[in-house]
Order: sequence, then C-alpha cells, then structure tokens
Amino acid sequence: MSTSCRIGLLQLADSAPVLVACVLNIFSRHGLEIAPVVVPSWANIADGLVWNGFDGAVMFPPLAIMTALGQRGRALDLRPGLPLSRGGNMLVLRGQKAEQALWDAEPDKHTAFKNWQQALGRRPRLGVVHLYSTHYLILTRFLSKNALNRDTETDIVIMPPARMIEALAAGEIDGFCAGPPWGADATLKNLAFAVAGSASTMPGHLEKMLVLKEQWKADNPNAEARLHAALREAVALCNTPAQAPFITELLSAPMQDGGLGLPTDALKAVLPGTTSTPDVMVFDTESQSTEASFGWMLEGMQAEGWLTPALLDTLKTLGWSDRHGAFHTPAERPAR
Amino acid sequence: MKVLLADENSQRAGALARLLEADTSLEVILLEAHTSLMDAVRSHAPDIVLVDISRADRDALDSVRALSASGLERPVALFVDEDDEALMEDAFAAGVCSYNVLDTPVKNVKPLLRSAIALYDRFRKTNAELLAARKTLSDRETIDRAKFLFMKQERCREEDAYRWLRKQAMQTSRKIIDVATEYLAHHTRTPKA
Repeated sequence: MSTSCRIGLLQLADSAPVLVACVLNIFSRHGLEIAPVVVPSWANIADGLVWNGFDGAVMFPPLAIMTALGQRGRALDLRPGLPLSRGGNMLVLRGQKAEQALWDAEPDKHTAFKNWQQALGRRPRLGVVHLYSTHYLILTRFLSKNALNRDTETDIVIMPPARMIEALAAGEIDGFCAGPPWGADATLKNLAFAVAGSASTMPGHLEKMLVLKEQWKADNPNAEARLHAALREAVALCNTPAQAPFITELLSAPMQDGGLGLPTDALKAVLPGTTSTPDVMVFDTESQSTEASFGWMLEGMQAEGWLTPALLDTLKTLGWSDRHGAFHTPAERPAR
Repeated sequence: MKVLLADENSQRAGALARLLEADTSLEVILLEAHTSLMDAVRSHAPDIVLVDISRADRDALDSVRALSASGLERPVALFVDEDDEALMEDAFAAGVCSYNVLDTPVKNVKPLLRSAIALYDRFRKTNAELLAARKTLSDRETIDRAKFLFMKQERCREEDAYRWLRKQAMQTSRKIIDVATEYLAHHTRTPKA
C-alpha cells in the first residue's frame, strides 16, 4: 500500500521538483501517493502544517523556524528537512533602462539608492513575501551594507510573491524582493530593474526545503527516505537544461490543469542552464552543515529581536543550530 | 466590539454580517472590495478580524507584531486557542480564521469563530452540491453525445449504444463517463490532411 502525504506549495518556480515527481510518477514508483496543495500565502503554509492536515511543505527556513517555535500560532515539532533549492531571489526597483543606467553608473550604491529615491519622490515601499523569509533577511542585508536604514528610509509591505507584479504595476510598491520567477518577470515587463539578489548578497544560500511533520515521519517509518529519494530524482531532472522546456510547460500551465500559472518568459530566464541573470535558481538536495545552512539566518533573526536565548536553545534541540558561540545580541545589531 | 469581515465572497460576507449583527454588542464592518486588509485594519481599528484564509494578503497581518513600520497602534495576531484544537482545525478546514487585537479577551472570540465556521461550512457544502449537480449534468450530456455518435456510426438503437458503453466500462473496470469521453475523443478527432 502506498504512503500518502499532503505537501503545501506556493506559486513559485522552486516548487518544481514536487510537481515534476508527481507528473512523471516518480513518487508512485517509490510507493508514495503525494497530493501537492497549492495555497495563496505563506500563512496558509504554516497554518496548513499546524491545523489543516498538511504532512509537509516546501518552505524557507525562517518561517519553518518561527512555526517550530510557536511564534506564529501553536508550536509544532519541525526540524530541518531536505534542501531543494539555493538562491534565486531578486531585489528589483521600479524603473526602466534610464533608471538602470543611472544605477549602474553610480559605484556607491548608497548614493545610487538615494538618487533613485529622489526621482521616485517618496519613501520607497518595498514588497517582501513574508516577514519570516530569506527575502526579508536578504533585503535587510542589502540595505545595511549600503548604509540605508530599513526602518526609517523604507516602508516594508508584505505580500505574496504572485501579487508583486500587479502591485508594482499599480504603484502600490516601488520594488520588491521575491523568489523566482517574479523578479525576472518584473524586469522582462519593463516594470523594474534588478539591483541585487541572492548571488550578490548571500551566494549559494539555502532557499527552499521540504519540511515534514515529525508526526508524519513517526506514523510512516521509512517513508521519509523514499520521499527524499524521489525528490533527488526529480531535482536531477529539474537541473538538466534539456528538460527546461518541459519544466517551463509544466509550471506555466494553468492552476486548474495542475500547473502553477507562472509566466513563461520569466521561467525561461531563471531555470537552470540559462545565463541571463546572476540570480539563476539552482535545485540542490545536498545538505551542508547546520551552521552553513542556517547560521546567517539565525544571526539575522536574532538581530531583529525575534529569537531570545531560550528560543535559541530550543532551536538547538530541534537541530536548527549547533553553534556554541554567541549570536549577535540586539545591542550589537549590525549598523544600518 | 468591532469586527471586520474580510471575505471576497460578498454573499458569504453579507450572510455572516447579518448573523453577527443579531448580537447588538457587535459592530460589524465589511471590507470594501479592492481595499487591502492592512489598510482596512489601519482605518477601522477593529478588535477582531475574521479572515477568509484564501485571501493572499493575510500574510501582511502575520507580520504586524514584528513590523514596526506597519503603522498600527494596536498589534494584532492570529487567534490561537491552545486548549481547543478541534475549534482551530474546524476553522481552517472551513476556510476562516481570526486575527485579534492582542489585548482582546479570548472568551469573546470563540462564539464568533464558531458562527463563522458554521456559515463557511454551509457555503462550502452548497457550493460542493452545486458543483456535483453541474458535473452530473455535464456527465449525462457527454454520455448522450457518445451514445448518439455510436448509434450513427454503428446504425444501431439507443439501448444497444448504451449497452455497448456499459459493457466497455465493465470490461475495463472504468466508469461509463470515462468510456464515453474516450469514445468521443477518438471518433471526433479531426483527420489529418
């Protein structure tokens, strides 16, 4: 009898391995019956795990960590899962070729940002996909590196990735940091230009993981290994440039037909094998050390004041941290 | 107590508003179309926000507590009843959740959430029945079309056509509608030039 598993996903290119494994019957070959559930927001991913019958989800570590700690709803035993993708996040700002030329011509990016802001004529409203996201931490690092104060010099607006383009076009936001393919989509639609992203801020960082509920693992012994094996096969396919047309077709198909309704041209620009953007997404299931995977995220999260020493201790027992030394305390927050 | 209802299904939102307004201690506000959840919370300052969980902008409310720039004087957070797991599971299964101003006493929330769950469930059931009825109708149409095509092709009576479809379904352990759909697809394909 096959093992069933409900996996929550968002409309993002890095959800590809799960869909590929479903469509090509890779899961069923491994004795698994996987039901991918596409939800409209990250809150639904976290609540789905806690309350609404998800057995697992494709998600970024900060949200998994805050959910595990009970910092947005009831605490749930979640531990690091199988890595699925690295990088791919893009920070884009409103503008076209002229604005991009001005940005590129100014080597000091603090000045470049200020010049862009002046032309904008208001405090920039920057979209981020969720507070507890790698994107928020990357945006924060970018601003901090360029001596820009996120809290006083920008307004952060939280919205799901699939809404960013519409919000940018409508003038609700002036830029955003989001996962693939939405940054590429904004540049291809001449709404914005790319200024930074995963590659320039935190090269090779872990982006999405398959997180499984401990309860599901206990109820289905050996199923986790089969699920990982199936996803490793799917990831190998996703990384094969010759498969890009198939993956593009799969992800751009309408939601009601089992796809994710993603924009075709933007997908072509971010799938492995393309060189059009430095923030190309990489599918990768290789585990790195706990410190290499999550250390920079926990530092950023602690600097935000989200993690108390007691919560950090809990994270050690859950396997999200094995650091013996101290993280930054809020008082030692990096200069912004 | 001020309750903001954030639901794009205006019929359901209206029904829930009427249900809640029976309690005169409640002031019920409906989120206007094309208004963001955050803007509505900022301008109405509700004590409770009942949210349709399919609203994508619910993520913004998740962040209010930690985001100093949210501009809200009273922080809101997802209402979680630690002691009543069934209530929480029912709420998410029905598709509704509650965000509360952090200092609102919990006892005020549960009856509201229960009313919302009941109503959302009722809407979901009606919707499911409607979809099932539509499907039955369209299945019947497909079977009829396949039957008539078979009659034309094989020059036989209606009972024979139906008997043939049923036999195919039994022999291949499939539903009649699947056999009919396949028959139509096979026999109505445009021949290649």
